[in-house]
Amino acid sequence: MVRRAGDPPPGILYGVIELHHLTKSYGSTLAVDDLSFKVEPGHVTGFLGPNGAGKSTTLRLILGLDAPTSGQALVNGRRYTSLRRPMREVGALLDAGAVHGGRSAYDHLLCLARSNDIGPRRVSEVLDQAGLAGVARKRVGGFSLGMRQRLGIAAALLGDPGVLMFDEPVNGLDPDGVRWIRELMRSLAAQGRAILLSSHLMSEMALTADRIVIVGCGRLVAEATVTELTTRYPSLEDAYLALTSGSVQYGGAR
Amino acid sequence: MSVLTSEWLKIRSVRSTHLILGLGLGTVLLGFALAVMAAGMYDAAPPEKQPGARVANLEEVLVIVPQLCLGILGTLAITSEYATGLIRTSATIVPRRWPILAAKAAIVGALGLAVGLLTTFGTYVVTRGVLGDRFSGAYAGAFTDRLPLLIALGLTVPTFALLGLGLGALLRSSAGAIAIIVGLVYVIPMVIGNIPEPWSERLGSVMIGALPRQLIGGSNASSVYGSLLPPALAAACLVAYAAVPLLAATWLIRRKDI
Repeated sequence: MVRRAGDPPPGILYGVIELHHLTKSYGSTLAVDDLSFKVEPGHVTGFLGPNGAGKSTTLRLILGLDAPTSGQALVNGRRYTSLRRPMREVGALLDAGAVHGGRSAYDHLLCLARSNDIGPRRVSEVLDQAGLAGVARKRVGGFSLGMRQRLGIAAALLGDPGVLMFDEPVNGLDPDGVRWIRELMRSLAAQGRAILLSSHLMSEMALTADRIVIVGCGRLVAEATVTELTTRYPSLEDAYLALTSGSVQYGGAR
Repeated sequence: MSVLTSEWLKIRSVRSTHLILGLGLGTVLLGFALAVMAAGMYDAAPPEKQPGARVANLEEVLVIVPQLCLGILGTLAITSEYATGLIRTSATIVPRRWPILAAKAAIVGALGLAVGLLTTFGTYVVTRGVLGDRFSGAYAGAFTDRLPLLIALGLTVPTFALLGLGLGALLRSSAGAIAIIVGLVYVIPMVIGNIPEPWSERLGSVMIGALPRQLIGGSNASSVYGSLLPPALAAACLVAYAAVPLLAATWLIRRKDI
């Protein structure tokens, strides 16, 4: 954790993501185009946009998986790739399927934890928190999508980080799981963490997020609170559809 | 160090590792079975034919089994991460990335060395025990005479493990990397044995299979392999097989998007 003078008192977590003119092009295609916004501590920020709008690319750029063409993404004031124990500052769930099916849930998490000097006790804690304690020794190959989402969320929580990013975490979850995620996100934010949550489920987003960032064609379309959007439009879904109506195109000319 | 602990757990927490290492070590049993067969044939042969009977150097023939096994182990150590997408998580939690490859190299290299030496020495010991002084004393010589070749053969096994890892990281594909390894062991030596001199001898000298004997200053006469390299060059060649793809992969993994 990075704590600075003037930040919340100890015991309260703090995290922030800042994007400054972030741009990524693949050949002649601009996936992310001069994107600037801030994910504030203490809030769940919903990250919305049509398929192909550059949401996943943005998350990959923040995590240093892709190198930006220009601009930068800062996590707690630093570039992600300069972090030596990144799990302690940022937790991310990008793809719940990205696990070796032959490994047990416990071993999978311990492999990740060890690389950042996190011990087996914390692994048991997050397994418990994700409701997977009973299947900890089972091979991940036999897990349903919902269980894999829980495993991915457990992995993101391993380092108890101040910044958390989730890409479509609700996919495949049963109503129980959906409610669990919603309450988890809100309680994590209440502790002072910065949460970036990407999802296409508008009704769920309206219940979980308090700030919204909408992107289209790699550019920032809107940045507002849920309350602002639902005051101006009948619902968050209407707001989303109205704001992105001009940017739903796949590989179209720009 | 923490990445090494993590990678060690990764490799021992999947079933394929145990299977592959078991198969590699099974070479000793295969050597035993072949020696028993050879001894039986020798004993059944008429006495006047026995002096002319020869047996292949079994630890030298069978070393391709641990070579292939460890080549596959090295490949899977990285390609399984690309196939499942786990590599993105790995690169996220170790943003410098190169320590992931370095830790994997240390682990598959060490496993390769252990399996390589265990199988060559093990095969030698059991075949010597079975064959005794048959075949004009092919296995009855002093152990110290054979020691350098056993060590040289054993060293090719970690080379394959690191080659597999390097190729796997470059190609990001199990099938591609394993195809190249099998090609290096079987296909290319056969092709080289059939091209005109002096290229057959020249190229035949730099094949991995040709290196152990050149490493100890011996010759590969009566095989498809050449014998042009002095021991130091043979050693450099062996190191290059392990190091060049791995260094290229390390350079690449730090730069490319994952």
